[in-house]
Amino acid sequence: MVYPENYNKPTRLLLLVSAIWFGTFGIALAEKVTLSADHWGVAEGKACIDCHKKSSPGLFRQWEESAHAEAGVNCLDCHQAVAADDDAVEHEGAVIATIVSPRDCGRCHTAESKEMHNSVHSQAVALIGNRIPALAESVSEKALLQAGCTQCHGSVVEVRGDGTLSPESWPNTGIGRINPDGSRGSCSACHGRHQFSKAQARAPGACTRCHSGADSPDDEVYAGSKHGLLFTANRHRMNLDSDRWVTGRDYSAAPTCVTCHMGAAPGLNASHDVGMREAWSLNGPVSEQQYLVIFEDGERRELPVAQPVPRRKSDLAKLDGSTATVKAAATPKQRRQAMSRVCVECHSKGFTSGFMRQFDNAMDLYNESFGKPALSIMRALYEKGLLTATAFDEPLEFTYWKLWHDEGTRFRHGAAMAGPSQTGWQGLHRIAQLYYGSFLPQLREVAGEETAKSLIDKYTSDREARNDTGYPRAPIPLVGYGAGKP
Amino acid sequence: MIRIPEIITRHVLIALLLGGVTGMAFTLFLIEFDRLTGTEAFCTGCHSMELVAVPYRESAHYNPVSGVRASCGDCHVSEGVFAATWDHIRGGKDLFAQLFGPDYDDPAINALHLPEAAFAVRQWFRRSDSATCKRCHTLDAINGTRADTLMIHQQDARGGSCIDCHYNLVHRRVPDRKTFKRDKWNRMIEREFDMPPGEADKLLRQ
Repeated sequence: MVYPENYNKPTRLLLLVSAIWFGTFGIALAEKVTLSADHWGVAEGKACIDCHKKSSPGLFRQWEESAHAEAGVNCLDCHQAVAADDDAVEHEGAVIATIVSPRDCGRCHTAESKEMHNSVHSQAVALIGNRIPALAESVSEKALLQAGCTQCHGSVVEVRGDGTLSPESWPNTGIGRINPDGSRGSCSACHGRHQFSKAQARAPGACTRCHSGADSPDDEVYAGSKHGLLFTANRHRMNLDSDRWVTGRDYSAAPTCVTCHMGAAPGLNASHDVGMREAWSLNGPVSEQQYLVIFEDGERRELPVAQPVPRRKSDLAKLDGSTATVKAAATPKQRRQAMSRVCVECHSKGFTSGFMRQFDNAMDLYNESFGKPALSIMRALYEKGLLTATAFDEPLEFTYWKLWHDEGTRFRHGAAMAGPSQTGWQGLHRIAQLYYGSFLPQLREVAGEETAKSLIDKYTSDREARNDTGYPRAPIPLVGYGAGKP
Repeated sequence: MIRIPEIITRHVLIALLLGGVTGMAFTLFLIEFDRLTGTEAFCTGCHSMELVAVPYRESAHYNPVSGVRASCGDCHVSEGVFAATWDHIRGGKDLFAQLFGPDYDDPAINALHLPEAAFAVRQWFRRSDSATCKRCHTLDAINGTRADTLMIHQQDARGGSCIDCHYNLVHRRVPDRKTFKRDKWNRMIEREFDMPPGEADKLLRQ
């Protein structure tokens, strides 16, 4: 869909800039390790193998079948540490670290490590920083944080004074894990150790371990989408083990999560900076289109388009709260163009833009009919003191949470990835039931009939007002009106 | 007829006999002394030693499946009366430190000084080629419950000494000297005993 000669000069310039960001031009390949083989295969590491072959045969076998073993990369190449490292331990004569951080992997896999460091994935701890207190501490406890939340988002790994890793924070392969060496992320979140199989990481399961359930129902959406059913039927034709894995060149039977969100397509580089190609935020109370802001140090953050476009050289807060200088910003349109490059390997331009239109319409429907009114009403209730500031101590708070977080997220992810059942019956159908059947009645209970009506009138959009939101609609037999009468 | 030299007088004979009996008695005393001073009851007579005995009582050397319990002296005192006596003489400096040194009976001070004690003991084991381990454990007889345990000890452990791999088995875990970080250890002890930051360093300097 993107042919530079079809565009005017400014657009071409934009395309050139986005081409640099998204690594356009040329056949896109994942970065290969370019170091010479004398960078690995440390002699002391061979002794590890002899013993671990016996002490942990399963682990040994996984490694033995890996590309690492084939290339001569042994245990110590990855696990080596220097005594001064925070998590260094002495182990049968060698100084090692249990945790192999992205920085360690980056000794050879430089590009992937850097991309991962700059990606939204590596920010997974910071991203839920403001949600964890409310959710984890109001409704659950530390045990959930350890066994649930941080297993996907990542723990802050604590090394105790006796050199052991605190069991409160380890084992953990959350994708935003804060490692003892200060690096962010965990390669083994997606790349199962110690085999590190390409095929495994390219299959949807690598993602759906975390991207499933209320917060990110992508497993369910993908499984119920045409893409997912094609993958299931054609897995053997996916060429998952191939060194090069470019959509439309090396495989075409189906797309996986990797294909669209980080994979290579002609004119589009593969990148471990997942999330670059996404125009919309899908996980807040209201969805917004997002700039992708790139800082001078390579790190990124997203910014809603409602805010002014961040100017080059201006200062902006990073997700961790520190301030950095903006290098560039990709608009939602540019991000979608990158995504569309993948689509057009199998679909026509018209098909692609038609799908995107349906997706945008769904976002608009969610925002205007449910997301924005519910958010404004909740805000007003807190301001009026009709709800206490404490989270999750009133039924309406649970309903609201379920509305945007559970059903709202399901609907929006369903629409984004063409999973009709999750969009419809599991998505909007439930949103509507919740909004009209629980949220508005509970609002009336909390605020009283009069205040509730004024809030609904004030915050309900014009479209909803035309539909007479919140009040009985025309009677239909499907919900029992006139049932049993001839 | 053998002629007894004139030098062997009656007095000399009595002296030899007395000397011999005294010597034997002294040797027997040393044997008993070494045995008694190696028992758990004797060692934990000092409160500081009771503190390090707490994790010992949770360990496999105290509660082995086989029922063969290793007492303090079994691991920490060499075999043979001379070596054992020498170990006790050397150990006298610990008694001196207990009486005139830091207050090892204080759990926090005890824990702060533990790493250096552990390093010294590990060094002692290394120098003796883990001799006291081998009182009970014979390399050729280590079968383990998994087949691999036997193989590892037959093939990979050759040339090494028990202590090279097997430490932190009995007492509170202390990292190897190479990777030990005093600062982190102190912070851990401070948290454990609700001490203000920096207190551990102050206590250590005393």
